[in-house]
Amino acid sequence: MFGNPVRLLSATGLVLVLGLAAACGTTNAAGGGGGGDAGPPKPGGTLRLGISSNPDCLDPQQVGTNAALNVGRQLVDSLTDQDPANGKITPWLAEKWEVNADSTSFTFTLRKGATFSDGTPVDAAAVKGSFDGIKAIGPKAQLGNGYLAAYKGATVVDPSTVRLDFSAPSAQFLQASSTMSLGVLAPSAYRKSPEQRCQGDGLVGSGPFVFESFKSNQQIVITKRKGYAWGSPLWKHTGEAYLDKVEFRVVPEPGVRTGSLASGQLDAITDVQPVDEPQFAGNGFTEPVRANPGIVFNLHANTTRGVLTDLKVRQAVLKGVNRQEVTDTVLTKNYKPASSILGSATPLHLDLSKELAYDPDGAKKLLDEQGWAPGPDGIRVKDGTRLSAKIVFSLVFNQNQSVLELVQQQLRKIGFDLQIEQRTTAETQQLTLAGDYDFIWYNTTRADADILRQLFSTKAGNRSKLTAGNPLDATLDKQAATVDEATRKPAVEEAQRVIVEQAYAVPVFELTQVWGLGPKTHDVAFEASSRMRLFDAWLAG
Amino acid sequence: MSSLAPPNAVRQELGFYLRRPGLVLSGAVIVFVLLCAVAPELFTSQDPIAGVPAERLQGPSAAHLFGTDETGRDVFARVVHGAALSLRATVLSVLVSLIAGAALGLLAGSRGGWVDSLVMRVVDVLQSVPSILLSLALVTALGFGTTNVAIAVGVANLATFARLMRAEVLRVRTGVFVEAARAAGVRWTGVLARHILPNSLGPVLVLATLSFGTAVLEVSALSFLGYGATPPTPEWGSLVAGGRGFLATAWWMTTFPGLTVAAVVLATNRISRALDGERRLG
Amino acid sequence: MTNGVPRRLAQAVVVLWAAFTLSFVILYLLPGDAVLAKLGGGEGGSTVTAADVARERAALGLDDPVVVQYGKRLVAAAQGDFGRSIATGEDATTLVLNALPSTLSITGLGLLFAVVFGGAIAILGTYTRSRLLSQFLASLPPLGNSLPPFWVGLMLIQVFSFDLGLVPALGSDGFSSLVLPAVTLALPTGAIIGQVLAKSLRTQLDEPYVEVVLAKGAGRARVHFGHVLRNAALPALTLVGVLAGNLLAGSVITESVFSRDGIGRVTASAVSAQDIPVVQAVIVLAALFFVVLNLVVDLLYPVLDPRLAGRVTAKAVSGV
Repeated sequence: MFGNPVRLLSATGLVLVLGLAAACGTTNAAGGGGGGDAGPPKPGGTLRLGISSNPDCLDPQQVGTNAALNVGRQLVDSLTDQDPANGKITPWLAEKWEVNADSTSFTFTLRKGATFSDGTPVDAAAVKGSFDGIKAIGPKAQLGNGYLAAYKGATVVDPSTVRLDFSAPSAQFLQASSTMSLGVLAPSAYRKSPEQRCQGDGLVGSGPFVFESFKSNQQIVITKRKGYAWGSPLWKHTGEAYLDKVEFRVVPEPGVRTGSLASGQLDAITDVQPVDEPQFAGNGFTEPVRANPGIVFNLHANTTRGVLTDLKVRQAVLKGVNRQEVTDTVLTKNYKPASSILGSATPLHLDLSKELAYDPDGAKKLLDEQGWAPGPDGIRVKDGTRLSAKIVFSLVFNQNQSVLELVQQQLRKIGFDLQIEQRTTAETQQLTLAGDYDFIWYNTTRADADILRQLFSTKAGNRSKLTAGNPLDATLDKQAATVDEATRKPAVEEAQRVIVEQAYAVPVFELTQVWGLGPKTHDVAFEASSRMRLFDAWLAG
Repeated sequence: MSSLAPPNAVRQELGFYLRRPGLVLSGAVIVFVLLCAVAPELFTSQDPIAGVPAERLQGPSAAHLFGTDETGRDVFARVVHGAALSLRATVLSVLVSLIAGAALGLLAGSRGGWVDSLVMRVVDVLQSVPSILLSLALVTALGFGTTNVAIAVGVANLATFARLMRAEVLRVRTGVFVEAARAAGVRWTGVLARHILPNSLGPVLVLATLSFGTAVLEVSALSFLGYGATPPTPEWGSLVAGGRGFLATAWWMTTFPGLTVAAVVLATNRISRALDGERRLG
Repeated sequence: MTNGVPRRLAQAVVVLWAAFTLSFVILYLLPGDAVLAKLGGGEGGSTVTAADVARERAALGLDDPVVVQYGKRLVAAAQGDFGRSIATGEDATTLVLNALPSTLSITGLGLLFAVVFGGAIAILGTYTRSRLLSQFLASLPPLGNSLPPFWVGLMLIQVFSFDLGLVPALGSDGFSSLVLPAVTLALPTGAIIGQVLAKSLRTQLDEPYVEVVLAKGAGRARVHFGHVLRNAALPALTLVGVLAGNLLAGSVITESVFSRDGIGRVTASAVSAQDIPVVQAVIVLAALFFVVLNLVVDLLYPVLDPRLAGRVTAKAVSGV
């Protein structure tokens, strides 16, 4: 387990410091060991964690909200893990794996000794049962359903070898196998209904924590799995988790969440609002921050509607958005302006910040050339048509409204009239599926570039309403067919470049997770999809 | 009252107000708020939308009476400029309850029979469902925004108006002058318009003034729950809601808009109480 | 209005049916539906396809014609079955009933506080001989009525929990966590009680019997608390329905501010998720509660006050 030289070093340092402290009888261990001034991690204790919304369901295979995924992640292990630092897929329950040439067949060799919390072994049959179980509930598996879209079935080769077959090239599956959405549940879990699993009944995984109780709108309690010894090698320590217990408290009111953390009634909180961030700068509190991988928040254009059919108009909008001003004014320095359609935390992200630079003059020039002349109210007009488009959004992220109003003001300066329409989540979803929009505003979290195919390919979501057989389709298919980075990288980069050049979507900013940790709370970590990992977390005395 | 009143009456009138400083103060509050709604620039020269980032989160001072918010906007300016939208929403919601409720009550009371039964059962239902639930459902159906919140609150409250109107119509209907008009051959609609409506409307109008206060509170509660005004447009409820993240660091952001709401509600209630009874009792 | 109990019961059933229908119509008219809300939810964004949505709808019977859905729901609801929540898969009735104790504990304590505060203000305000004190006390209820409850809740948390650390700001562990939510709820409710009771007390004090009893040599306190209060409390009884509605409305805000489970939270989230079964369960149960409550009050009133037997009970106007 000491394959990582950095970890070996820090562990040695730790032992040294401990030895020194013991030998000298002094208590000051600061300055050594690389563990910060908090000293070595200490097992035990209950972490009280404030979360912003009630998870309607706890089964990680079914849910799509952060509140729920953050709980589910602690309960299940996945076949693979993904390194948040570089996006590489690494072993976890599977020691190794093989992928066939066109990425339609994945063979995993499972590590020995892992068991579910009901005592049954994590073997090939259990893995097959789990994947079949996810496929069986269809769209109820909100994320898994997409990951397993082409899943045909699994074969138990031997007790520790399982092969999964797909009907179409599915390179994305390798990353998907690292998510909690495809985390492995025990065979006993599928003797319960999906609704029962949602409430925690039969929610049996092999993860470092075990489900204890769920009181809706109130709290979820999970406890340490005794004897856990099969953690991912990416984690900081081995063996059992440090914390005895975690209480996820549902605290919808942002002010109460921050106030409770500040007054010591909570040890950590998620979803610190941009306006609250300054409260936890310094003064013993820490504020872990990580941008979400996947599609950034963007104005996704329907290229069949109104003025947006014109490439030059779309390009003008792309140039007319001042991304830096958005993050500076409405958000905070923790949020990054978009530098591509993919977030910077996504593997194979290509930095296109130059192409996305604010260029109002360039935008005006494009519009002038196309014959759009400023009208009496400053909005441009051509042949009696106003340069105007609607954008539909829902309030999944609190600052959406303010961001869009700022973008509206920015576009007004180049003579473009952006009309903002807030809808309910359901309605936005309906309009999206029906293609009934000029622009839609959304983001999608996924630590794999295949998300581009899911939303831009004419064979999948096709949110830009492109025609079949366009060059982008070919690139997207190419990246879907191989897990080999040498082939995949150029395809993914080409796709990002095309999307930005054609302005099929106008990237604006990266959604970012901001947590607040109390003075005693340490090492609450982000995994690759910017969700929570509590295995290494610990509380100082 | 009128300028033709003898000096004696004027003195009495003055005395009436002098004995009620609270009422005078309430009147002043309402006049101030109305002026804010019509001509906000009379009271503040600062921009309610664009702030001065360098002056963010400052406490109350001579330069910023109510302090500044997280983007350096003057909270007093936002409260003053918010009056128009908040009052418009309140008036709209009261008008919806008043007009729809009075119409239903008038219909039920004047037609009687099955129409009455039907209307009153609808009113029963509206009253049996807690109004906040009704408003929540309605505002989701109508969509977000202050206008829709106002309509939702108005509909949720119309049952009371309908009931009162019906009761008044039933009372007036049996009045001698109505009987007389009917006997004189005046058509039913004529009687309704000329006699029943004017004579039964009084108490309903008083109820309307009374519900101003509750409407302000309900509209701001729905704004607080996130269904209301769209930032950065200032509206009182959303101002309180917007500042709640700063309770620990910037109390003034919630306190002053909250107190403004309280003052307006208090003032309208005081005035409607005066309209309701004190004038008549002297 | 002693129209006979059967007739009142029939009316009650009609009201319940109408409440059921109203909630169905409103939620059905909303654009989108619960399946879209569920599948489209989440900060991570959604990649569901139209086929997914169609499949899930079919599984839930949401692709039946409206009339069929309405009929099925109505028949089931008549037997107390509102179906399963679309968002969580739980039985809607169970979901609502599970949230009930939490709401009842804060509304119950809130009502107690309200009666104590409101009662004390009214009684003291009418009993005292000091004009100043009386006026001061009379000005309290309008004040309590005009403070936005969410603002009061946040201020209470700030002062008593964050600054002074006396009570927890969140959770539902023990009595201490009940106090602030209950006070928040009690403020507007106590104001109503205070106003109505004070008015009623003043009316009673002007009644001739007061003079008579006083003339007979009874002490002022004895008259005030013995006779007047008892008679004055009766009209306040008609307020019960209004108060219950107020408390329920307050709980939506209070539960959200104090991070508590309860009917208010369940309702607010069910409405935004367009979860028809849950919203219907709440609305019909609430309507049932109000219908029964008003029925009981109407029937009890003449029993408690024989003088009023056969007379129309004054329907309290909400928003007093």
